[in-house]
Amino acid sequence: MNIEKIRKRFIPMSETMFYILLSLQEERHGYGIMLYVKKLTKDRIVLGAGTIYQSLSKLEGDGLIIHVDEIDRKKNYVITDIGRQILSEEANRIKEIYSIVEGLL
Amino acid sequence: MKDKKIVWLSAFRNVVPADYENWLEDSSLQGWNIDKIDQWSSILMTFKRGNPKKYRYVYDVQAMPKKDYKTTYEEFGWEFVGQMASVFIWRKEYKQERPESFSDKESLEKRSKRDIAAASVSFMMFLLAAIIITVVFIVNFRYLKPGDILQFILGMVLTYGIFIYMAYVMNKINKNRQR
Repeated sequence: MNIEKIRKRFIPMSETMFYILLSLQEERHGYGIMLYVKKLTKDRIVLGAGTIYQSLSKLEGDGLIIHVDEIDRKKNYVITDIGRQILSEEANRIKEIYSIVEGLL
Repeated sequence: MKDKKIVWLSAFRNVVPADYENWLEDSSLQGWNIDKIDQWSSILMTFKRGNPKKYRYVYDVQAMPKKDYKTTYEEFGWEFVGQMASVFIWRKEYKQERPESFSDKESLEKRSKRDIAAASVSFMMFLLAAIIITVVFIVNFRYLKPGDILQFILGMVLTYGIFIYMAYVMNKINKNRQR
């Protein structure tokens, strides 16, 4: 799939998708992602098993992440170059929102 | 006091996934538990009387689950209860906060969409069967005896009936896709 199509599919990104992709800058598996995101958001976001499984399927299907190894049927995933590009474009979009809302607070 | 309860057509009584989950949860709270769900559970489900348990049930639809599907759920502490076609039923005991498998609106809606897609397979099959029966009926009409005509009419009532019912089911799931 070309980058334009991927952009259309992922940007803007749901908060769930954003945190999952962000967490995969390091190799992680489903449960590890949940723990990481929970800690990062100070218990605000607790991802569920179904949500993580289907998000990972979507991200992998579109080439934003790949699974690197599999131990005891647990798959470890990591971000790809395309994933990194989408993540940084989304981060820039959030940064723009941030700079706009700053005046409101 | 009876210690067994049989429920017919459970999947047809609760067509919305969230209703099915809640119905199983209520049954467990009343002490009616299931050990296992299998292919036939949508038609006939057997409950055994036991201690009331507070379970959160999850109805998930996966036509082609990958190898890490079950391990992901199990690692999150979900117990696999069973499978009916592409429907997977999971449960987890809880005390206060009700656990969720679909933690955001998007993934909850997607679960409903997969359920509609699964229902649409039967919908298309019965539509096709209804059309075939109708065409054969019209083409051969003048050669048919009264008994044959009756059979054709019964066949059409049945296939069109199920086709319309499936359309109703899909619409109902769609209307409730956010819960």
